[in-house]
Formats: sequence, C-alpha cells, structure tokens
Amino acid sequence: MANFPSSEWADEYVKALNGNSEYKDAGKTWEGDITFVVQPDDRYSKKWYLYLDLYHGECRSYRASDNESDIKKSEFRYTGPYSNWVKLINKEIDPIQGLMTGKFKLEGPMMKIMRYTKAAKEMVNTASLVKTEFEV
Amino acid sequence: MWFFRSPHIVFGEDSLSFLNTFDAGRIVIVTDKNILGAGLIDKVKKNLPENAETFVISDILPEPDYDNMLLHLDDVKKFAPDLFIGVGGGSSMDTAKILFALYERQDIHIYDITPLVKLNLRKKSHLIAIPTTSGTGSECSWAAVVSEKDEHRKNELASPEILPDYAILDPEMVLSLPREQTINTSVDAMTHAIEAYVARWANPYSDALAEKALELISNNILNVLNNPRNFDSRNSVHIGASMAGMSFSNSQIGLAHALGHSFGAVFKIAHGKTVGLFLPEVIRYNYKSSKSKYDRLNNLFSDDIRKPSLDLTIEYLFKKMGQPVQMNTMNINEAYYNENFDLLVELAENSTGIITNPEDINREGIETIFKKVHGD
Repeated sequence: MANFPSSEWADEYVKALNGNSEYKDAGKTWEGDITFVVQPDDRYSKKWYLYLDLYHGECRSYRASDNESDIKKSEFRYTGPYSNWVKLINKEIDPIQGLMTGKFKLEGPMMKIMRYTKAAKEMVNTASLVKTEFEV
Repeated sequence: MWFFRSPHIVFGEDSLSFLNTFDAGRIVIVTDKNILGAGLIDKVKKNLPENAETFVISDILPEPDYDNMLLHLDDVKKFAPDLFIGVGGGSSMDTAKILFALYERQDIHIYDITPLVKLNLRKKSHLIAIPTTSGTGSECSWAAVVSEKDEHRKNELASPEILPDYAILDPEMVLSLPREQTINTSVDAMTHAIEAYVARWANPYSDALAEKALELISNNILNVLNNPRNFDSRNSVHIGASMAGMSFSNSQIGLAHALGHSFGAVFKIAHGKTVGLFLPEVIRYNYKSSKSKYDRLNNLFSDDIRKPSLDLTIEYLFKKMGQPVQMNTMNINEAYYNENFDLLVELAENSTGIITNPEDINREGIETIFKKVHGD
C-alpha cells in the first residue's frame, strides 16, 4: 500500500503503467512528457509533482517531488487539488468531465492530446490499480 | 457537476420566418452547392430581414478539412457580418461554427477551439443553424468535425461557445431530401439517441431527449420512406433528429460511432450508414451493463416493429429501411478490407466514442466486432 502522494506511490504507478498492455498499445506512437500536479487543499497542505517522460507506450523516466525546481518543464501539465485527485484515482471523477467542469486543468497542445484519448484513459485507469492510502 | 446545453429551438411549419425577426443586416450564409442548386438558399433569403446584405459561401465539401473550411475566412472578415447562418448537413453547419469562432476571435488558432479555453465569442455576431437533413444533430451540438488532409482521421473541435444561438427546424427544408440521405441521416439520428442513452455521461436531460427522439423517429421513418412528402411525418423525424442531437451533445456517443467513424474514413462511406452498420452488434456487446436501459428503449417501438430485444428490433427496422447490418451486403472491396484491417482497428481504438461507451473495450474486442459484422 503506497501513500498518495509520495515517491513510493510514483514507483508503483510507473510500474503499473509500464505493465499495462492497453496503455502500451494506445500510446505506442506518443512522444511527450507530462507532469501531474497536486495542489494543496484542506486535506493536503503541500504541492506535489510527478514528471513522466512517456515514449512509445512506455514511461522512460520519472521524477516525483514536492519542489517544482526538481521537475523538468514538460509539454503537458494536468493540475488539480488533492481532493479531486483522490476522487480521480477512486474513479469518482471522469478525467475529461473533470477538465470540463474545472476540477482539473490541462495545459499543453490540445490537438496532440485529443488524438490519444484512449492512452489518457488508460493512464487514469492505471492510477486506480495502485493500492493507495490517502491523507485523511 | 454537469451541464445541459441547448440552442433556442424554432420548429414546425413556417419556422424559417423567424429569420425576419432577427436583428441582423450583414449575413454570411454557409452551405454547399447541392443545397444552393436545390433552391433552399432562396427559401432562406426570402425570409431574411429586408435590406439585409448577404455573402453566400456555397462550396463546402462533404467532410471538409481545415483548408476547405477556412478558404473564405479573409472574405468573411472583409464582409464584417453580424450573423452567420449554416444551412445544410453537418459539414456546412460545422463550417459555419468554425468561421464564426475565427471571425469573432481573429487572434486565436483553430486548435484553440476546445472546451478548456474561454473564447468570449458573440462580441460582433451570432450563429444560426438550419439543417437540411434530419440526422447529424450539428444544429444542437457544440462540436465541429474537421477532417485531416490526406489522413483517415477526423478531429472534433468542441466549445460550448460554438453552440448555435438558434436552430431552425423547418420541415420544408427536408421535404425533398433524397431517399438514400433520408435513410442514412435517420439511422445516424437513431444511433445518436441509443448511444447517448447508455453513454457514461448520460444524465436525466439527455435520457429524456433520447427517449422522445427514438419514439418520434422510429414511429415515423417508414412512413417518410413510403411517402417522402408527408409533412407531419417529416416534421416528427426532423424534430426527433434534433432531440437526438441534443441528447448526444450533452452525454456523448459510444462504440458504434467509434467503429463507424473508422470504417467510414477508410472506405469513404456515408457516416450514418457506417454507424448503423455496427449498432446492433454494439448493443449486443453492451447488453450486460445496459440491459435495463436498452429494454426501456425497446418498449418505445411500435408493436409491429418491436422484437424481444433492442438489437433485434434495430436489425429488423434497419433492414426494412434498407440500411445494411452486415458488410457482405455493402459490396466492399475484400482485399482493401484485409489490407486495412489494422488501420480500421487502430482508428476505432483512438476514437472518443471508446471513452464514453458504457463497456470498456480493448483491441481484441474491437477486432471481434469488426469480424462479426464482416461475417467471419
């Protein structure tokens, strides 16, 4: 069981992502990096970043930190408050509806990511596969 | 939190006359050469405010790419309209949406038309959609489909701000719709209603519209095909199709659209025909998770059409209409199908319909449905 957010959770997530054949297939032509950004709210007081270098259906490298200066600038950023990340991981928020209702923000070239909706869905599905403990 | 979005709807006999009440003096009309040739733009013009100046763009191609859509953007800017009217099927109405957005915001790129960017449109002009087919639902949707040049791919640009201000559903505009297009577009509309009803984002508003849409279309379409100029039946199908459009626009489509988009892009076959081709098999695939909703829809069909389950009812109705439900009745090039099988699967896999379909599906599942509909 890994705490979210933590380096251990990032390790488990990347392991699960690289073991997800559906993601491997859906992201097989994808080249680009993305950073998940957890914003503080009343349940979690810090910022947290998970940088993922994604290439042809695999995560080649990653870095988790609560210090933005540790994290490379990425092509995309998917940002939301901690409580919404909890709901996303528990599949209580649809990731695209989350964007459209302002619960999450996506920065980066939209047309590129629109071609990879299945890969994006599998990235979220993978998060829900990680056995996770949350801040109370 | 979720939203329900809809244009104002003007419907029924003589609804084109609403145009005369609209406060506009410089009007861009976006259409295609067939609609122009059929005299439908004359009907629109007769109903415009007196002294209104018009600039008619009549060379929109079926399934236009960006270049075709934006060919006249500079002329539009020079004309400086206060109203855009899209008249036609999805291609013309979608092009009107894009021209409207890029005229309003001359500083944005076409790729900025997403739900995630606030566009602040309607500073200079408004948008009206007048469908001349009963099926695409574009008049009620906040999306515009754009083909990519030289690629078997379509992009869906979406923003709540490109939803038309008004949709005018005048049955006069569809009375002379040819039989083949009547079949294709009504099949598309029924597929919109059924997929919207079980989609992951379905909600009470989209459900209510999907139910009424299916009832109106299924109970009138055979009469329309037998008596194409029957005003009341045409009117019912026309209203039903816009309700189906409103339904899927607020809940999304599903797997039949994902498979149909892919098949249509590779074989260049009309959209409605391809989504309908896969619909019965997709219903069977989704039955486990959506049985109660499918059963409710099945009860909306009249006794002479209804079969024990929705997939069988749809197959029966589609066959009666002349809509194929197996590829072997479509004269497709078998060698081309086999050569492009992987591409078909890949395009379907990356379609947004996969995301909102009620059942998850993987590559193997998509291959299986293609093979079943192919008759393997």
